[in-house]
This record gives sequence, C-alpha cells and structure tokens, in this order.
Amino acid sequence: MASSVAQKRLFHEYKNLSTNPPEGITAGPVSEDDMFYWEALIEGPGGTPFEGGVFAAELKFPKDYPLSPPTMKFVSGGVWHPNVYPNGTVCISILHPPGDDPNHYEHASERWSPIQSVEKILISVMSMLAEPNDESPANVEAAKMWRERRSEYEQKVRDEVRKGLGL
Amino acid sequence: MEQSFDLPDSTDWLDTPVSLLAPLESSLRCQVCKDFFDTPVITSCSHTFCSLCIRRCLSTEGKCPTCRSGDQELKLRRNWLVQEILEAFQNARESVLTLAKKEAARIAAGTTEDPEPPHKKRRLREDSEDQEVHGTENGPQGVRTRSQTQVVQAPAAGRDHGRTSGSLEVVEDSQDEDCEPGDGTVACPICARRMKNEAVFAHLDSCTGNSNPVANPASNNPSSFGSLRPPARQMPISPSKAPERLPAMNYSLLKDTQLRKKFRDLGIPNWGPRQLLQRRHIEWMNLWNANCDSSFPKSKRALLRELDVWERTQGGLAPTQSSLGQTAAVMAKDFDTAQWSVNHGTDFKRLIENARKKSEAQVRSTISGVKPTSEQGDMPVDRLAEPPVEDEAEGLRAARWEPQIPDNMP
Repeated sequence: MASSVAQKRLFHEYKNLSTNPPEGITAGPVSEDDMFYWEALIEGPGGTPFEGGVFAAELKFPKDYPLSPPTMKFVSGGVWHPNVYPNGTVCISILHPPGDDPNHYEHASERWSPIQSVEKILISVMSMLAEPNDESPANVEAAKMWRERRSEYEQKVRDEVRKGLGL
Repeated sequence: MEQSFDLPDSTDWLDTPVSLLAPLESSLRCQVCKDFFDTPVITSCSHTFCSLCIRRCLSTEGKCPTCRSGDQELKLRRNWLVQEILEAFQNARESVLTLAKKEAARIAAGTTEDPEPPHKKRRLREDSEDQEVHGTENGPQGVRTRSQTQVVQAPAAGRDHGRTSGSLEVVEDSQDEDCEPGDGTVACPICARRMKNEAVFAHLDSCTGNSNPVANPASNNPSSFGSLRPPARQMPISPSKAPERLPAMNYSLLKDTQLRKKFRDLGIPNWGPRQLLQRRHIEWMNLWNANCDSSFPKSKRALLRELDVWERTQGGLAPTQSSLGQTAAVMAKDFDTAQWSVNHGTDFKRLIENARKKSEAQVRSTISGVKPTSEQGDMPVDRLAEPPVEDEAEGLRAARWEPQIPDNMP
C-alpha cells in the first residue's frame, strides 16, 4: 500500500525490461528493496570504437519519477566521450527536464517527459555513444579531440574499452 | 513488494501464440504510470491518460507528456469508450491468457496431435470457463464474456448482504476488484461507494442513500445500468462528500495563517513550510479532482490515506537522505527546523547519548589527556588518539556533527 506511484511504475519497467530486453541492454534495480537505484549494462554499439565494450552505469530515480527524470552515471571509470562528464555522469537531453535548459540548445521535444522510460534512455545513450553531440560538451577535452583528432579519439576510446575489459 | 513483481504486463503475451495482443494491451495502459487506465481522460490534444496521472503532469508542467502542447486540467474530458474497451479487455484477460499459456505449453511440449488449433482453442475456452463459472446451465457457447459479466455485477455488489445470488461468479468479481486501484474494497450495496470490507456494516448504519437500507438492496442498485455512470449520481452520502471539484488556489495571495486555515477547512494536514503546503495542496487537488472523475469515487478517508502515502514518499515525511541531490530541493530558507527536530528528536538524543558515553570513556582512557575542553573541539583529537575503534568512531562523529545541522540553520 505504501508503495508509491514511482515504485509501481519502476516495477513495470523492470518487468518489461527483463522479459523483453532491447538488444545490448540489461537493466534492473540493484536490490528489489530499493527500486530507486538501478544498475544498467550497455554494450558498445557495433561499428564504433566502443564496439566490444560493456559499460556499467547506475541510474538514480527521484521520488517523483516519472515526473522528473533519473540521473545516469557510468561507473568503473568514466567513458571518454564528449557527452559524458569525466566523473561518468551522462549529459544527454532526454535526461533533462523540459523546464531547465542550462545550455539553451536542446529542443523541448528531445527532453524528458513522463512518457519516456528507462528503455528509451538507454537506447538514447547507446546511440549517443555512436554519435556524440559536440554542441555543448560535458567533457571538453574529449569533444575537442573528437572534433580535431578523430583517429586519436577513437584510439583512446578503444584503449579504454580494452582496459575496461581487463585486457 | 514481491507480489508487486507479478504485476500483469503487456509482455505477458509475448511468449504465447497470441503475442499480437501485447500491443493491444500496451495501448490500454497509461503511458505515465504504465498501469491500465484508471478513469481515462482525454486532453485537448487527444491523448489519453489516467485522470490522476495527467493532472499530476499538468500541475507540474502544464504540458501534455506525449506531444508537449500546453493544456489545462479544466479541459480534460472523460474518455468513456476507452474505459469500456478496457473493462471488456480486463474481463477477458485472465481467461484468454490462461488459455494462451496452455497453448504455448502444449506447443512447447511438442504434443501436436491436434491438427486444428483454432477449434481446439474454442473448446479449451469452454472448458476453462465452465471450471470458473459455477453452475451456469445456460449458454453452452464459449463466447459470453462481456454481457455475462455485466449481468453478474448486479448481484455481486449486493453479495455482502444476503448471499442471495445463487451463481457466485467469484472469479469474475474478484478480478474486477483487482482492477480497482484501491485495496480489496467492496461496494456499499446502497450507494455503491467502495470501502473496506469491514467498514461496510458500520457505513450502512449511516448511509443515507436509501431510507430503508437493508430492505431492498437490489432494487436501487445502480450497476444494473452498466458500471459507468450511475454511482456518481448516487454518491452524495453526506453534504460534505458531494464530489465538488476543488478550485485552484492562488497561493501568493494568501498569508501563511490563511493558508493553514484553508487546509484545516479542507481537512488536510497543515504543518510544514509554505513550499510544502503548496505541493501538498496541489497533490490533494489532483487526488480529489481525479476522484471526481471516477465512476467509483473513493471516500475522503481513502483519499487522505493516499495523501499520506504521498507525504511519506514525496512530501514532508519523505526520507531525506535521498540518493539524489535533486530531491534535496528544500532550500535552506524553507528548512523547517522545528519539524526536523521533532521528527528526529529521539535519534538525536540517542546519538548524543552514545557520543557522551564514548567521549567520557575515551577521556578516561587517553593517557595523553589532551584538553577535552569544548564539545566539538575534542573530537578530531580523540580520533587521532584512538583510531582503532572504527564503527564507534564513525557513530561518534555522526553523533557529534550531524545533529548540529538543524541548529545552524537560519
């Protein structure tokens, strides 16, 4: 009874993701006692330097989810990517509530809405890995490298992927 | 919580031969709460949501979650057709799903001796229905979902009274109740309001829906008309419970005391800082007005319970050590010191108690005897002097420093 709207909705999403997971994505609460803290695994999209990598991320949901979006952060050493802060926090428009646009570049239509879901976030992040948006980079260094020295960027990403896999 | 994980879901269909029902089911679910529509309403932009869900969205953002065009709560209209479709679907869901799963299991087991799946289906359906429906001698055909359940609803509502109805469709009925957002409630046979099972008789004593409550419960039972409209009209039990919509309030025009008085008049908690009061009132307005839309309005008590759930999950009683920085949106100036001290008083006392004991013990055992003068000053020194007491040191530090926070607040 005391379970909130947010918890119930997260249960729905969890069930949906575990019975019908999108390709290359796994996600679920770390413990079923706390539905507001999830862990996700994303495969690096094929045909990109991230290919072959598996990236772990944590998702934290606000109590008024789905009115407000969760936050997402890559764990185990960040991801070298223009839209990922050096500490791993993902900066992508779908995770930003329409009300606040600190960067003044995102269309409202790309941003969070209660009808979005964990699945859509993770799919967006996957495609973000493949196609960085360098308009307002979270990691300026990575963005610069991506723009100006693409091959070096790709090499660095590949190295990190290998390192992440313990090779 | 574990049984919540058995939530019925559109993916239930995926591994069955009728996996094409999955998109049908998911379109009968609200995109915001992912549950079956509860009191579906349609926006000006023609998107359908639960009444409560869209009210919550509109009150935070003022936009349709699907297309982001602006909308107002006043423009929401009931979507009766969706409700009817949904009811029909929910009535059929369990039996069809059981059937589909049996079929899936049969296929998986490789018992393909039956060459005609559609025919078989039909027969299975009859079997399963006959098992569920006790003592139905009419209608040998399997196709009788909707009309059947409608007929049955009338006696079911009065079943708490005298078990007059012979054919107890326990299955169908309990299924219906599951669809209710409430918690195992039953309908009052007179006014059709839903309430806890044990509350029915107490309520009957005061129910003015009929001058002679017990005599003839079936005759004025509204559900003979289909389950949609009538209960709303029969709802008013006492004048205060008439489902009148709550108007929005202009908070900035009201002083704190006026606001709190309004809350008292509404019968909702009026403690906490202003910002919390506003949020609580918005939630209350959403709960209340969504309930006005409902075909089965809940009692004010039930709504207050829901408000209490909100209070404990998102409101003033929500756990504050939320994992997310964003939820710590209570600004320093809005911090309710008094309330905080009340809520956490015992914790603080216990921690301080522990800390005192600990520090006294340490003072005695510390040979160096470094001036344990001020309460706060001695802390770091003690920790230096005695590092091995890991857990205790941790607790001690917490005891010393955390409780200070509220005092330092403006």
